[in-house]
Amino acid sequence: MAYQWDFTPVLANTPLLAQGLLNTLKVTGTSLVFGLALGLALALLRLSPRRAFAWPAGLVIEVFRTTPPLVQLFWFFFALPLLVGIEMTAFMAAVVTFSIQSAAFFAEVFRGGIVSIERGQWDGARAIGMSHAQALHRIILPQAVKRMIPALMERAIELMKTTTLVATISYADLLFAANEIAQKTFRPLETFTVAALIYFVVIFAFSLLAQQLERRLAVSGESTVH
Amino acid sequence: MRWDFASVFANTDALLAGAAGTLRIFAICLVLGLGLGLVVGLGRYARTKWLYLPATAFVEFFRNTPVLVQILWFYFALPILMPFEISPLAAASLGISLNSAAFSAEIYRAGIQSIDGGQWDGARALGMRWGQAMRRIVLPQAIKRMMPALTNRAIEIFKMTTLASAVAYVELLQQGKLIASLNYNPIEAYTAVAVIFLVFLWPLVQFTYVLERRLKRDE
Repeated sequence: MAYQWDFTPVLANTPLLAQGLLNTLKVTGTSLVFGLALGLALALLRLSPRRAFAWPAGLVIEVFRTTPPLVQLFWFFFALPLLVGIEMTAFMAAVVTFSIQSAAFFAEVFRGGIVSIERGQWDGARAIGMSHAQALHRIILPQAVKRMIPALMERAIELMKTTTLVATISYADLLFAANEIAQKTFRPLETFTVAALIYFVVIFAFSLLAQQLERRLAVSGESTVH
Repeated sequence: MRWDFASVFANTDALLAGAAGTLRIFAICLVLGLGLGLVVGLGRYARTKWLYLPATAFVEFFRNTPVLVQILWFYFALPILMPFEISPLAAASLGISLNSAAFSAEIYRAGIQSIDGGQWDGARALGMRWGQAMRRIVLPQAIKRMMPALTNRAIEIFKMTTLASAVAYVELLQQGKLIASLNYNPIEAYTAVAVIFLVFLWPLVQFTYVLERRLKRDE
């Protein structure tokens, strides 16, 4: 007795899947922007010679790299609003969690990139009268960013996969939409297969893009850091 | 807002059951994930396309889909094709293990490729077959280089086990959810769960730093 596959009930719900995918991209994009900015700030603080800056930044990075993202999400969604007395939508909780979580990983990529620039570049910038901030901004970061791009893209792809966790707090992302359609149509096999394929197509496309970029950067003679 | 951990400590039994569940699924996924990863990694390294292509398809598919989607697929979709029920533990273990196999396969492959060709030639000159050279000469050297990345994978697997709560498998986060809903103490319950994970994983993370430093020093 072979199972009769039937994708028509799933295809009838295409708008729901499309809206889900859009919401997935929205959470990913917003968290990516905040995550990159916060990650750079954390990296610069951690590299600071002052322990009062370096130590707390290091602690935030380690705690968010070490605890599971789903635990963080539940904490920000269920615990934080009670603690500070504010309303928190599932979207807000997701963006806060994934921004800080990805920032912790981005920070290590930024730090690795900045540290990889050889000492002489700093000395040269200082010799022509630049301040620390100017040297960082004009000399060090432009060179470091190029080396960091492959690792940053890899982390961004990880971020998109991590956003599926929002389905557990009922934010209508692609996975949540799939779950809803599966229950409505009694076609879990077809629905979850379609959802997995959509994720694969989108994420694989980003991966290929990242690989191509990495190859182009490698051709232009720069080594890359991971 | 006053913190009150008494209601969490009153549920120590539930948390212990959760910790046991977390350690159990972690052990299963660690063995299956890293073991299967070696097989797939060797397949990725193979020269015959009958091994190379399926291994590559496996790696690309499981690396480029979210692990939570894989777990839900195994839990809700696979039973339709199978004549038997799939337990939350089985579904979560399958998802996490296959995902980790795909990632660790790339670690093994990169590790093996990093070994100088001369080592292979030397082993062959002594009359070793491919399997012997791999097992006695190449892998022992490659394992050392792979150790930091493999330990990182183990940490990722440990963190991923929380996703099993999405299919109601009894592990730490699932128990935290239960305690929070019974005692109306989400702040303390989820903070306690986060702290327990830190206690488990912090030493492991520090250990990877030691491994990374040692490797850098030795090479």
